[in-house]
Formats: sequence, structure tokens, C-alpha cells
Amino acid sequence: MATTLHSQTSAPRQQPTTVSGVAVKQVYSDADLSQVDVHQDIGNPGRYPYTRGIHETMYRGRLWTMRQFAGFGTASETNERFRVLLRKGQTGLSTAFDLPTLMALDSDDPKSGGEVGRLGVAIDTMDDMLVLYDGIDLEKISVSMTINAPAAILMAFYLAAAQERGFDVRELRGTIQNDILKEFHAQNEFVFPPEPSVGLVVDLIEYCTDCVPRWNTVSISGYHIREAGSTASQELAFTLADGRHYVEQTLRRGLAIDRFAPRLSFFFNAHNDLLEEVSKYRAARRLWATLMRESFHAQDPASWKLRFHAQTAGCSLYDKQPQVNLIRVAYQAMAAVLGGCQSLHTNCMDETLALPTEHAATLALRTQQVLALETGVTNTVDPLGGSYAIESMTDAMVREARSYFEKIDQAGGMLAAIQTGFFRREIADAAYQYQTAIDRGEKKIVGVTDCVEPDEQPLELHEVDPMAESRQLERLRRVKQQRSRDEVQRSLQAVRDAARCGENVFPALIQAARTRATVGEITAAMAEIFGRQGARQM
Amino acid sequence: MLLAKVGLDGHDRGIKIVARGLRDAGYHVIYGGIWQSPDAVAAAAAEEDADWLGLSLLSGAHMTLVPRVIDALRATGNQHTECLVGGIIPKEDTERLRQLGVCGVFGPGTSIAEIVDFLRQRSPQQTETVDLTSGVDSGDRVALPDRVLLGRLLSLIEQGGLSATMLNDLHRQRAGKTTRVMAFTGSAGVGKSSLIANLLPRLVQRDQRVAVLACDPQSPITGGALLGDRVRMSAGSDERVFIRSLAVPSGQQGIAHRLDQMLLVLAHFGFDLVLVESVGVGQGDVAIRQHVDRVYLLLQPESGDAIQWEKAGLLEIADMIVINKCDLPGADRLETELREQVNLPGSRGVPVVRAGQSEPSGWDEIIRDMTGEQ
Repeated sequence: MATTLHSQTSAPRQQPTTVSGVAVKQVYSDADLSQVDVHQDIGNPGRYPYTRGIHETMYRGRLWTMRQFAGFGTASETNERFRVLLRKGQTGLSTAFDLPTLMALDSDDPKSGGEVGRLGVAIDTMDDMLVLYDGIDLEKISVSMTINAPAAILMAFYLAAAQERGFDVRELRGTIQNDILKEFHAQNEFVFPPEPSVGLVVDLIEYCTDCVPRWNTVSISGYHIREAGSTASQELAFTLADGRHYVEQTLRRGLAIDRFAPRLSFFFNAHNDLLEEVSKYRAARRLWATLMRESFHAQDPASWKLRFHAQTAGCSLYDKQPQVNLIRVAYQAMAAVLGGCQSLHTNCMDETLALPTEHAATLALRTQQVLALETGVTNTVDPLGGSYAIESMTDAMVREARSYFEKIDQAGGMLAAIQTGFFRREIADAAYQYQTAIDRGEKKIVGVTDCVEPDEQPLELHEVDPMAESRQLERLRRVKQQRSRDEVQRSLQAVRDAARCGENVFPALIQAARTRATVGEITAAMAEIFGRQGARQM
Repeated sequence: MLLAKVGLDGHDRGIKIVARGLRDAGYHVIYGGIWQSPDAVAAAAAEEDADWLGLSLLSGAHMTLVPRVIDALRATGNQHTECLVGGIIPKEDTERLRQLGVCGVFGPGTSIAEIVDFLRQRSPQQTETVDLTSGVDSGDRVALPDRVLLGRLLSLIEQGGLSATMLNDLHRQRAGKTTRVMAFTGSAGVGKSSLIANLLPRLVQRDQRVAVLACDPQSPITGGALLGDRVRMSAGSDERVFIRSLAVPSGQQGIAHRLDQMLLVLAHFGFDLVLVESVGVGQGDVAIRQHVDRVYLLLQPESGDAIQWEKAGLLEIADMIVINKCDLPGADRLETELREQVNLPGSRGVPVVRAGQSEPSGWDEIIRDMTGEQ
């Protein structure tokens, strides 16, 4: 079998565009910066509007946090993987939950069959949370949890478990994703209708602002919007619009802007187009700083600074020649670092095939370590700042985002635009255009549309433990046997009452966690008041 | 082609791209949505008389869920729907899925053209003749095998109509059956499917057997169509509800070919109510009036629709006007305008109802109007 490799070295016929389909000029010059004020719009690192980064010394002072996303099976297996990652030099934890947990269902729910512990760790009660972080010093290690619809419930489990282990909750550091709006735009992991869903997000912000002051209360996420097929500027605009909505709703609760804004964080995608991505991050900082200072009148510089986690683009990876994914991930990680991220997850090469093996997870972490220790890009702050191309693209990105903000306002604001399907339509159109460009040969993918290899060496893959589901079901059965049914019922009633009166449900959730009420039971109690949101149209 | 996602995984980028791609390649694509149960998918395949059922799974639970869908399909007595699977499927599982009877598996990076080529090489099975007298349950349910038969009959009507003999039989048998037919009309985006979705559970509660004919436009250029109304309506797989999506070519006044024949067959199957959702096209919509007992015209605030409908003479054919999405600003003004309009001397005094999440009583009012309850 002969391999036919050909590479396209002749100049492409049509004008090149970015991954998002934006035309790129052959050369940029000072003429492209006529609308940019070097001092006001670009400024200096660590100074408003933070286009060049939120810290004066950036990575010379401190590297980004290498935070690899992990979770599978039951809490015990995930706890073991966490310890391995910490031993290999990872500096923070990031927790992946399984689909039933993300959808607020218990492991023993008939709808959970086949999904328990498959894509992440299964959590049913606070007992699972105790096992999950067992032996890890929660006052030293920061923990991130990727959970949305039941975020308040899982956060309550986390706090109750930390207290039971004797930690001071005021010292806990970490992030909970808690961003329900992007679920309605893109990822479809919602349970309640939009309005009460946002109410829960604000409940968590309000509670943690008072009691867990070092915790990042929302990780306002563009990542999933981009994965669903949006362009870079849609990712940027919709994410910041979501952030704006959370700020407005929290202000309506009567919290002062500078009390909670410093604990809002962001989460962006790191896709293939290096220049476009770097511009996106820089534009995000400028936009957020301006919004916080000019529109919301925040006084504390900490409120102006957009801090973000980045993850390399899962949607850019392929199952053909999967080791090539290593190379894609490395370039994407470079974009995130040149864009000034605060923490980073690099995807594993086997992502499109299965959950990562330990070997693939190690290589993904090593990718970040090489970037940090060997490439030299950490030695100077915002090294691409001042490039004609980068500054011009950054400015274009800012203007594009602002025009989207206007469109959302014209549609009647965030919730109205969700109801009319504005975001979903925009994203689906962009996704279809991108696919069409690939199908027409305008966009090339190594190993898929070009440079194809007929015989591929398969990778060793992570085997899903077929017994994890039954082990988790057994754990849950035991917890249900040992808890006091009356206590559980009373605590669920307190959750219902709080939800009915429009109070912050969080204190009731912590009590419910202690009685060992399950994620599914607590969710069902809230759904009696809030209702459930069915699937939405295309 | 019926496309759906089973299980909890809601990542729908791929399936939506495939839906659009196949539409543009000239297929009638029915989008069944996310979170579908195997039973609901099997019922949909029967009702839509799908040649192909495309399942998308990215969660790795395919070896649990796909066999359940195949079993559910077989349990309905559906012999002809071919099953395709797309998503993240490891090589060794591809083989196992084929052994289960899945006829094609498509991984990440598959182009639309590859899928179209695959479908063209395997043209769907030929329609066999249908004997109307077989399997029709004279009881009060459309049993599942009958669901397959009814789905198939509606396709026969779409493709060329029933024979004169059969039509005569149906006409004779129709005597004494009271199936009421309700049309829902209004411009695109006014919320016709959402309204029907809110009415269905209320009708089921009243033990009404309901068939829905959801019409969506067909492209005059490719002949393709993307029928997306099921997503909002699928009220689980309650046996009293039957939903069929229909592609309507342009220039047909927003209703399907041979609608009268479809209504005859649905009456024969003993439905109490048939809800026809017309394509929101505007002026031509008056044609629907000849086929149905009542016409519900949907308007939404701030859309300028009222004026357009008035021009088209549509306010005259409506038996009830529904101000849908009445939570939006401008509902009060629209209501005032409409009441002035319909209560002019010499007009019929059409009732105006507000419906939306904040006014569920509007839904009950529409139901009372439909079922003739006081």
C-alpha cells in the first residue's frame, strides 16, 4: 500500500481568511491603526484597560496555573488520578463530572443508564464529595468544578464536605463554572427555565461573596459557544454579554459591584488561528475593563481585570492520525499564553477517541511545561503587543463585539434573545459555514482533507471500567440506607420553601447536603417551584 | 431522514450540520432533537415513516443506547427504517454496531458529501402496498404497529394519493366519526409549535386522541426540507398523540398536498382532534379554511403582523385570534387594536385570547374552544 502525501504549497486562489472566516490582509501597517489610540486603547500591562495583560510582570512574576481537567468512574478512581497529576507537577485541580451529574440526575435514575462515571466522575451525595478530594489539602490546592445546572448543589456539597474535614471555608480557593446562559446558547445542559436558572447563579454569587470570599463564583464561558461552532468574535461577544447579564442581576440583589466583580472569572477557547485567538483575548480584557468602569462604575481595579482560564479546542481535534493532535494542542496553548491566560488546560491527543490515558494526559501536561520552561515566551509581557496585525485585529474584535451587544439589546436583552433563538441561530449558521468551507476544500485539515495516511497506527485507549456504574449504584444504595429519611424530607422541604419565597436557596442546600440528600432529589424539589425546561429547537 | 440524539448528551453541533447539509442535498430531514428516549425515537420513526434514522452520540454510551433504539424499533413492528450512527465511535464498536443491524457509522471529520454518497448508494426499500383493513384497531388507541401503518399511509398519500376504491371505503367508514380539525396559522416564528406543545399535554389530560400535522416549507431549488417542529412538540411517547412532519412546496398556500386525504385516514384511525400547523406564508393561507373546522390565527406583539393579516383578509377567516408570547412588551396595545378591529359593525366578533408562559389560562381557553367544552 503506497502512501500518497501531497502538500499544498501553491498560493491559495481566494483571499485567506481566519478560522472564523474573517478576511486577512497581506500586510498590516500604521494605516490600519488609524482608529486606535496607543495610550488609551493599548496602554501598559497591569494598567487599565489591560489590553496587554492584567499583571505588570505577567509570567515573570508567576506562571499560569496548569490545570488539567480530569474525572471518571467513581470518586475513588478520580481521587487517585488527581493525586497522580499533582505528583507530576500540576498546580491546581479541575473536576470533570459525568453526564448524569451535569444533568442533575442520580446514578440510579433510569435515564442515567450507560452514562454513570463515563465522561467524568459520578457524584450523587456529599459522601462522594468527601472521597473525591480525600487527602488533598483544600486550603493549599485550588479546585475547579465544571458544573452548571446543579452548580449550587455541588458547591453546597463541596462546602459541607470541606467543613466536615475541618477546613475553614473562608480559606478555600477555586472556581465553579456556574454559567447557565451558555448552556442555553450552546451546550444544552440546562434543567430549569432561563430565569430561575440565572437566579440560582446569583444565589451562589451572593452566598460565596459573603462566606467563601476567595472563591471564583462564575467562570463565564465562551469555550462551549466556540465548540458549538461559533466564530471567535461571537464567542467573545456572547460570553461578555452573559457576564454583563450576571452583573446586572447581581446588582439587582443589592450587592455592590466591587464586592462581587473581582471574583467573576472567564473561560475561553484556544483554537487554531493563533493571531485571531491572541487578538480575541486582548479584546476581551479591553472590553470588560471598559464595561466595568464606564457602564457599571466599578472603582476597584480588581473589578476591571478580566481573568481567564483557557482550554485548547476540542472541536479542532480529529481521530485520523491522532498524534497530530499533540501538535495542534501545542500551537493552541501557545496562543493562550501569548494572549495572557491565567490558567490553562491542554487537551489530550486521544480526546476524539476516548477519555485520556495516563500517557496522553502526561504528554498534554508536558506540552505546557515545555511552553513555560523552554520556549522563552514567558520572558516578556505581551510580546505580540504593538504588532500592526495584532492591534488591528484586536480593535476589529472589540468593534464586532460591541455591535453584537447592540443586537442583543435590540432583541430585548439576554433572556428575550434566548427565547427567540438568536444565539443558537447565529452559532448554527457559523458552524454550517465552517463545515461547508471544509467540504468545499477552502479550509484544509491535516490528516483529514490533506496529507492523508491510509494505514494508521491505532493508539492505546483508556478503557472505561465496566464495573464503575454498578459500584456507584452500590455506594448510593448504602448512603440511602444509612441516612435518616425524615431529616432528608425536612431538608428538601426547606429547599422548596426557600425557592418558593424567592430567598437565596444556598443555606437550605448546605443543610440538604448534610442530610445526604442526592443531587436528583434536591433538583426535583427545586423543579417543583421553578419548572423544567424542555429541549429547544434548532 | 429522521435525526435525533438519544441519552443525556446535548452536544448538537454535528447533528445540526448534518441536518442542514442533507436538506441542501435535497432530503426531507426531520430533526427530533436532544434527550430523546429510545421509545420516543422509535415512535417518531414510525410516525414519520422514516427511511433512515440517524442517531448522534458523543458521550460514549452508544453500546448501551443504540441497542435499546434498535430493540424499540423492532418492538414497533417497523421493518424498513434503516439506522445510522454518527459521533465518537471507536473502531471495534463500529463492527459491533453493524452486527446489531446499524447500516452505517460516521466518525468525526466525515463530510456531508460522504454521507450523501452513502445514502445514494443504498436507496431506501420500496414501499409495499398497504392493506387498510389490516391492523386498524377499532378500540380507542393507535397501537404501535398501527402507528407504523398510519405513518406509511400518510407517505403513500404524500407520494401520489390513495386509490379511488380506498377513498370510497374511507368516506363510507367516516360516517358517524367525529374528528374535529383545527388549523393553526400565523407567520414564521410566531410560536405555532410552541403553542401546540403547550396544548398537547392538556388535551391528553382530557383523554383526547390527537394527531398533529406539522407543515414546514420545502426548498423550491433542492426539494430539501428541514422539519424541526417535532422537537418542541414531542410530548414523550404518549400513545394518544401522533405527530407527523410534512414538507410543503412553495406556492401551495401553506398546506400539504392532499391534506383532505390525510384527514380522512386520520378520521379512520379514530382521532378526536387533528391539529394542522400551516407554514406561515401569509396571504394564501386562506385556503386552509376549506379543510378545517376552526382556524386559530396567531399574532405576536411588536411584529407589525396585525396589519399584514388585516390586508390579507386573514382576520376574517380566523375563528379565534391568539396573542402568542403575550409576555413580550406591546401585548396590551396589540390586544386593543385587535379588539377594535374585530368588533367593527358588521364583523363576526372573533374572540381574542392572550397566551404565553404568564397566562396559561389562555391555553385552557383555546382548549375549551376546540373541544366545545363550556
